[in-house]
Amino acid sequence: MSFEPKIVGFLCNWCTYTGADLAGTSRMKYAPNVRVVRVMCSGRVDPTFVLKAFREGADGVLLGGCHPGDCHYQSGNMKTLRRIPLLKRLLKDMGIEEGRLRLEWISASEGERYQRVINEFVEQVRALGPLNLEVRKALPKKSQATA
Amino acid sequence: MPAATPFLEVADALKEYGAHDLDLCYQCSTCTGSCPWSFVEPLNIRRLIRLAQLGLPGYEGEDLWKCTTCASCQVRCPRGVAIVDLVRSTRAMIGETGLIPQSLRSALGSVKGEGNPWNGKREERNAWTESAGIPRFDPKKHEYLLSACCMPSYDKRSRRIADALWKVLQAGGVRAGVLGPEESCCGEAVRKIGDEGTFTSLGKSNAAAFEKAGVRKVIALSPHCYHTFKNEYAAFGVKVEVHHASEIMQRLIFEGKLKPHKKLDRTVTWHDPCYLGRHNDIFDAPRAVLSALPGVTFREMFRHKKQSLCCGGGGGRMWMETKRGERFSDLRLPEAMAVGASVLATGCPYCVNMFEDSRLGLEREDAIQVRDLAELVAETL
Amino acid sequence: MPYKIGVYVCHCGTNIAGMVNVEEVADFARGIPGVTLSRTYKFMCSDPGQALLQEDIRKNGLDAVVVAACSPLMHERTFRRAAQEAGLNPFLVQIANIREQCSWVTEGKGAATEKAKALVAAAVRRAREHQPLEMRRVEITPSALVVGGGIAGIQAALDLADAGVQVVLVEREPSIGGHMAMFDKTFPTLDCAACILTPKMVAAGSHPNIKLMTWSEVEEVSGFVGNFKVKIRRKAGYVDHDKCTGCGLCIEKCPYKADSEFEQGLAKRKAIYLPFAQAVPNKPIIDKNACAYLKNGKCRVCVKFCEAAAIDFTQQDRVEEVTVGTIVLATGFQAMDGRRIPELGYGRLPGVYSALEFERLNNAAGPTNGVIQTRDGRAPRSVAILHCTGSRDENHHRYCSRVCCMYALKYAHLLREKLPEARVYNFYIDMRCFGKGYEEFYKRLQEEGVRFVRGKGAQVWGGAEWKAMVPAAAVPEGLEDHQLVVVAEDSLLQQVLHVPVDMVVLTPAFEPRFDAEEVGRRFLVSRGADGFFLEQHPKLAPVSTTNEGVFIAGACQGPKDIPDTVAQGSAAASKALSLITRKEIEIEATTAHVQDELCSGCRTCIGLCPYNAITFDEARKRAAVNDALCKGCGTCVAACPSSAILARHFGDRQIFSEIEGLLSL
Ligand SMILES: Cc1cc2nc3c(=O)[nH]c(=O)nc-3n(C[C@H](O)[C@H](O)[C@H](O)COP(=O)(O)OP(=O)(O)OC[C@H]3O[C@@H](n4cnc5c(N)ncnc54)[C@H](O)[C@@H]3O)c2cc1C
Ligand code: SF4
Ligand code: SF4
Ligand code: SF4
Ligand code: SF4
Ligand code: FES
Repeated sequence: MSFEPKIVGFLCNWCTYTGADLAGTSRMKYAPNVRVVRVMCSGRVDPTFVLKAFREGADGVLLGGCHPGDCHYQSGNMKTLRRIPLLKRLLKDMGIEEGRLRLEWISASEGERYQRVINEFVEQVRALGPLNLEVRKALPKKSQATA
Repeated sequence: MPAATPFLEVADALKEYGAHDLDLCYQCSTCTGSCPWSFVEPLNIRRLIRLAQLGLPGYEGEDLWKCTTCASCQVRCPRGVAIVDLVRSTRAMIGETGLIPQSLRSALGSVKGEGNPWNGKREERNAWTESAGIPRFDPKKHEYLLSACCMPSYDKRSRRIADALWKVLQAGGVRAGVLGPEESCCGEAVRKIGDEGTFTSLGKSNAAAFEKAGVRKVIALSPHCYHTFKNEYAAFGVKVEVHHASEIMQRLIFEGKLKPHKKLDRTVTWHDPCYLGRHNDIFDAPRAVLSALPGVTFREMFRHKKQSLCCGGGGGRMWMETKRGERFSDLRLPEAMAVGASVLATGCPYCVNMFEDSRLGLEREDAIQVRDLAELVAETL
Repeated sequence: MPYKIGVYVCHCGTNIAGMVNVEEVADFARGIPGVTLSRTYKFMCSDPGQALLQEDIRKNGLDAVVVAACSPLMHERTFRRAAQEAGLNPFLVQIANIREQCSWVTEGKGAATEKAKALVAAAVRRAREHQPLEMRRVEITPSALVVGGGIAGIQAALDLADAGVQVVLVEREPSIGGHMAMFDKTFPTLDCAACILTPKMVAAGSHPNIKLMTWSEVEEVSGFVGNFKVKIRRKAGYVDHDKCTGCGLCIEKCPYKADSEFEQGLAKRKAIYLPFAQAVPNKPIIDKNACAYLKNGKCRVCVKFCEAAAIDFTQQDRVEEVTVGTIVLATGFQAMDGRRIPELGYGRLPGVYSALEFERLNNAAGPTNGVIQTRDGRAPRSVAILHCTGSRDENHHRYCSRVCCMYALKYAHLLREKLPEARVYNFYIDMRCFGKGYEEFYKRLQEEGVRFVRGKGAQVWGGAEWKAMVPAAAVPEGLEDHQLVVVAEDSLLQQVLHVPVDMVVLTPAFEPRFDAEEVGRRFLVSRGADGFFLEQHPKLAPVSTTNEGVFIAGACQGPKDIPDTVAQGSAAASKALSLITRKEIEIEATTAHVQDELCSGCRTCIGLCPYNAITFDEARKRAAVNDALCKGCGTCVAACPSSAILARHFGDRQIFSEIEGLLSL
């Protein structure tokens, strides 16, 4: 059996999560590998969420937010955008390929795009293979946060 | 008319041949009303599409061969139907049953045997380049391959265009060479006539020739070759940078490498060739070149840019007889004269050929001149 | 920490159960630590479904509830309310979305069931970390802002004002009225547009509850539902409208002219002007680009004649701020520029008119006093009306503009009425006469002798051009140089027609306003693929938007005629009214909170908050979040280097647990 990657998606409530729902109401089929955490805004996605996901067994992480200018909270997505290079560098230092993290702007009306992105990303991560176990173990354990 | 029963298998088969958009047509009639034939002896392309949608007899009728693949309809179709592909696919499907018009068969035979549609010998393909002293392409010495189309090899009028272009390229310091007799027709017309098989073998043989010679960049004299190399040769693994002669001339002038200085003192209009303009959106380069020529007064014809009138020579019509009075080129010269032009300039050997032919039918043959852009530029050097 | 959790897996008929093995999921849930009860039910959102959940809460003293069903965007509120009624804090409910994001999108029962289990595991783990929260209530400012004074905005403003709501009506032009003010007659009833519109305009202008701000634009919106703070730019018009009596002497005396926008450039207006005679307010403004005094300091004729001393050249733009509880956007549409379709000759051939030009030409108060004539003053003997100019067209707009077929019929009627000798042709693809009385109107026009040609007008040429372009045989007999030739195929006849006419009228597509993107952003209203503002639900919430408290009405939402526009105007008003009459609104409890003891005073968060909700106490060197302003986006939480900011309900612990759950199998 081919490798089935596990992917965690952090989707903002207003655009991408709604777009994912639209893919559902339109009965668009896509790969089952992505499991979603709903956040109010992509700006809420703390880099530690991403590390946590990799540590807990994810082979890929998808961040989904509103298109630039369309963020429900005006500019949360821009903050996310700015965090990405930092995060990628962090991942690289830890031995995690850049291709395992993907940021996509998907609006509430782009169900079809959501379907395409999911299928593409699953294939992308599948091609990278499972995340190295050693790497996973070495990730910081910060799971019981202060909050 | 007797009742008919739809035969959708025919429509399905057409789609397999490439008529992908067939069902998108919503029968608005824009195409028929936009077709240059609507000025003379209308071609009802919409009706052909309708018949094809239902697979009813008539879709393969004589009208199908009138289409010059000029794309006047296609650029306006509100549903974005690739109408030229519909025509090509329909021709390809019925071509397999041998229903190609007689007059096209000899051109096809010549392409298959000699690699050109003009019944010329393959060995003679390079006679003109040798007498003009154009070197064989050598990747170490040359930046560009000059692909001059089959016409200059076998047609005197076209040869003048090629000579002029060579003169211009040399004056501009462009390092270019030509291929030998291993070069074949690009296959554009062949494909539009519906002979996919021959098109594929031409494409493969040219691809091999490009590869062997180490070609990276091509200057095409004809928009038809330009279109085919640029948009259709990827299927044969060809990855070259393609430029039309007008683009190169524009660049040379812009960069100051080419300095047109002799005054022309003529009023010039530009005929946008279908495969340069509508098919490939090159409208500005030739106009920029004309505006840089000393002594040229430029006039636009009524039908210009996307609305340009087809010369009537595309889609295989070059080899088919069109009645006087129905030839688009016969309409074009008076239009040019009506806007006060003494020179009808264009950038395609087919167009030049069609217009020269029409010019002979004028009351006064010298009322207007027909020139390729390269010929005008050469005159100013 | 809650430990008695109830899990409910919904069948949703076969919507979920058809793809997910719900019993297997329920059995699986039963094994997760903390779960004391796990059930499946046909329709959890139904009354008996909710009752089941409530009974369990009451009887078994559940600490938290997980409902695995449709998207939380559908029914989170339903289940929260049910829980609350049964005495459980609503924030102790968690939804697992196993329909929209599982059963409907997954192929293969096995895969769908696995995914559903993971989603349930995540929801349960998350629910274990939930804290009870209190919804907060804020008072609603009992006033409304209406943006755009077309018929949609006027209707909405009047409905609200009549109900006693204070309304601010902002219009960017010098007068309200919108497109409708340009028409003489309206289809299909042919009532006089001015007769039905002017009274409404006047009512809006004089209503005690409406504050009219024309020549103004909204510049900034902050705050949120219940209390929007709005900055409005009042553009300088150089006339003090408090003093001006509207006598019009200044207009009469002003020596300078410019093209009239309202007349589509078919006539001139003065530098000090009213856009049209019935303008509301009926007081002029000065066009600073046409006024000689404002341009080069000479003239002041108006000042000399104004007895009220109302001219004020020192006037500057000023910004006014208002607070409103709700907003209605009614910014309308614009008509596409016909020049984008060069083959139809608009802009090049003087005989080719846009529809709005024709409206003015036909208007009794227009540049020709309602006489339909060409630019060179001839009465047209033949007119071609071309449908679908840029509509239903992949090269321009894919949608149908819905109204043009009908006003094209209106034009045909007006032409037949005013010029009985004139030949009138309508070139169409399909006749779309969908409304009440519309098909009947079409039949009436056939009775009136209009020629309907089924085939889109493909090209239009001038008579002189045509003669130079085609063989002599193709020149219609008697074609004059100033005439036009329309080329079209009559698809019913299967024949190409060359139709010589004196006038061509185009029907340019409805388009979103040029600044719709910017306006959408300002009000946080999204736009559909067509560029028009997007309603919250195409069928069930047609005037609501995803930004709570902001409603849309009229042609800014998509092409529509006046009856539909007015209906939406009233609909938006009633939605706004039902919001305001609630007096109070519950706002999200899921805000951010700075934990004082952890805050290092680094100020990272301060500039990040899009709502300026974070303040900094200089003395104590600590940041604090203002609950009333925070909207809970979480941006500051993610950025705080000391992890000092807590996101209520979206805290690190809750999300970490969810991640653990998702990846636990
Ligand atoms: C040629 C033509 C003929 C028609 N004939 C008919 C007919 O006979 N019968 C019929 O039922 N329908 C007809 N219609 C349709 C009719 O025009 C529309 O249904 C109606 O105008 C829509 O009204 P609205 O208020 O939504 O938009 P609009 O009329 O466009 O009004 C919008 C208003 O908002 C203002 N505005 C825009 N942006 C801003 C901003 N950012 N800030 C402040 N103000 C702003 C504008 O200045 C304008 O006053 C016709 C349409 C056309 C194009
Ligand atoms: S223009 Fe396009 S849609 Fe219209 S009839 Fe022709 S092919 Fe069909
Ligand atoms: S491609 Fe040109 S000749 Fe052929 S149908 Fe279209 S408009 Fe006519
Ligand atoms: S209403 Fe009629 S004219 Fe307008 S776009 Fe629709 S079909 Fe075309
Ligand atoms: S969560 Fe933070 S950034 Fe977002 S609105 Fe609240 S205080 Fe501002
Ligand atoms: S709300 Fe979607 S990215 Fe901010």
